[in-house]
Amino acid sequence: MATSIVDYKIVARPNNSLSPKKTVNIVALLALFSLSVAIAFGFAGAWMVFPFAGLELLALAYAFYFIHCHADDYESITISGDRLAIEKHYYKNTSQVVFHRYWARVVLRETPSGEHRLWLRSHGKEVEVGHFMNNRQRLALARQLQMRTGAFH
Amino acid sequence: MSTATAAHHHDDHPTGIMRWLTTTNHKDIGTMYLTFSLIMFLVGGSMILAVRAELFQPGLQLMQPEFFNQLIGVHALVMIFAALMPAATGFANWMLPLQLGAPDMALPRLNNWGFWLLPPAAILLTAPFILALFGIGDGAIATGWTFYTPLSVQGGIGVDFAIFAVHLLGISSVMGSINVLVTIFNMRAPGMTLMKMPLFAWGWMITAFLLIATIPVLAGAVTMLLTDRHFGTHFFDAAGGGDPILFQHLFWFFGHPEVYILLLPVWGLIPHILSAFSRKPTYGYKAQIYSFWAIGILSVVVWAHHFFTVGLPIPALLYFMYSTMAISLPLAVLFFCWIATMWKGSMTFETPMLFATGWIILFGIGGLTGLILADVAADAQYHHSYFVVAHFHYTLFAGGIMGIMAGVYYWLPKMTGHMYSETLGKLHFWLTAIAFNVTFIPQFFLGLAGMPRRIPDYALQFSEFNMISTIGAFTLGLSQLIMVYNIVRCVRGGKKAEAKVWEGAEGLEWTLPSPPPYHSFTEQPVIK
Repeated sequence: MATSIVDYKIVARPNNSLSPKKTVNIVALLALFSLSVAIAFGFAGAWMVFPFAGLELLALAYAFYFIHCHADDYESITISGDRLAIEKHYYKNTSQVVFHRYWARVVLRETPSGEHRLWLRSHGKEVEVGHFMNNRQRLALARQLQMRTGAFH
Repeated sequence: MSTATAAHHHDDHPTGIMRWLTTTNHKDIGTMYLTFSLIMFLVGGSMILAVRAELFQPGLQLMQPEFFNQLIGVHALVMIFAALMPAATGFANWMLPLQLGAPDMALPRLNNWGFWLLPPAAILLTAPFILALFGIGDGAIATGWTFYTPLSVQGGIGVDFAIFAVHLLGISSVMGSINVLVTIFNMRAPGMTLMKMPLFAWGWMITAFLLIATIPVLAGAVTMLLTDRHFGTHFFDAAGGGDPILFQHLFWFFGHPEVYILLLPVWGLIPHILSAFSRKPTYGYKAQIYSFWAIGILSVVVWAHHFFTVGLPIPALLYFMYSTMAISLPLAVLFFCWIATMWKGSMTFETPMLFATGWIILFGIGGLTGLILADVAADAQYHHSYFVVAHFHYTLFAGGIMGIMAGVYYWLPKMTGHMYSETLGKLHFWLTAIAFNVTFIPQFFLGLAGMPRRIPDYALQFSEFNMISTIGAFTLGLSQLIMVYNIVRCVRGGKKAEAKVWEGAEGLEWTLPSPPPYHSFTEQPVIK
């Protein structure tokens, strides 16, 4: 049985200041209040408040669910042996691109605002990495990848 | 290491009209909200100047009573829903991501949609005026902004237009609120705990909670009104077993929190200005947050003070009177904190500070006259009089719009990258403050003397005060053109604004250049 030793691995995730538990608390608090009001007015004869409250809560819950789905977004770069794997998870989709470690090239491009964007390239195929990083972190990542891949352009 | 320079599409964005139609950028959308608000402020203001022209002298001078009522109703709807609320939302769009250290609002596409519902709503509100010129319908809604039944059940197509406009405005507000909540809760920079958040964000957070809690009630009420009008239901028809008072309960369950929905963003913004121009930290940060919460919670349990005179049971009158008066306690805490922030500060009076200090005095008058109206016995005398009109203009024009103006002057250099004219700004402030009082102090006396609101003609004894009020109103209206000119001048050019425009200003928004780059905070700030 072959065993792979990971030489290098980095995982980057976006900032999320809201935990899943707090998300549930916020939606539950608003739902409790909004539905209580709708039920009270329903008993007073104004039942039409109820469908609007329900629709609004669905929209609110979906908005929080949507960002919750994005809370798991990540980018990972794994180097093991002669294999360089880039894995991206965005919303519910995960994609993976594998390059040969020693053929992979690191490409940095500067934007007019002075920011740098980072790509990994091999055999005509290019994958951008470092979406969830700031400029300083991307430059540091580029240096680290340069030391572990074929060349740097 | 070699660095290649290639495609710059990260910084690209559409230009021309497509930029504004399709934009998901928080600053673009904020600018659109603020521009829309300014236009509608002038539209709504023009309507009330026509009303004041009619009231310059007793007798019918310029218009028929029906048209007079339409102008008053649409003025209120436009000012509340299309001027003041979008202005606060515009600031939220512009400033929340900057203040929280976020790259944009959490749900940018929803943000775009939320804005673009507003122009159709404004068209629905005002189109009946135009349609009536072509013989279609009998004009706009003439019930006042409150849609009271049974008058609104019997009204013309203007009521239907207003109902659909309110639905669109409600959807827009809910979408904006959801976006604000998600942004505040999920996109704060690392280290920015809730108790380190700027007060403007706190004010907006509670505003968003209130909107989400109350908009379904308004939507339900106007839909029931629509079905009463066209589909044979009798929700509000006493002859069919319905209850017209139920509509008042529904409307004011939304309508009273709406006052705080309009004011809370301003209460959040003013402390930033007071602190910046007093060169002192905000006094009582936590006390202000707890007061926001107390007022937000109380605001949804006091609604019936708007219709004490309709014939409520005595226990209900007592409950609503005492609960309404209880709001003055947290509000007093806020006033104390605002004044204490300035206490022994190194104060200077640039235009934003002039508006902020003037705002404290004038909004204070609005609050105190509200206490008088909260008294059931006194309210029997003042209800539906010009005293009420003067009171709510001290809260909504002075407390709301003048607060927004303070924010405009405070953040305009940050938004545009240019300094506005201080001379024109100060001229605008003094004319506004003086003309506002000339307009509305006489209305207190008119109300105390017994002049009812929403009448195009009046007894001769009210002539002088009405004349003074009209002169004040036209001065107030025309002086707003100074602000418009100053804004346009500032957008087009002028002295370059520094990143930290005001010496004493604190907050993440002042760490970015003026104007901030198209994409804010591509590097995430860390708050210590």
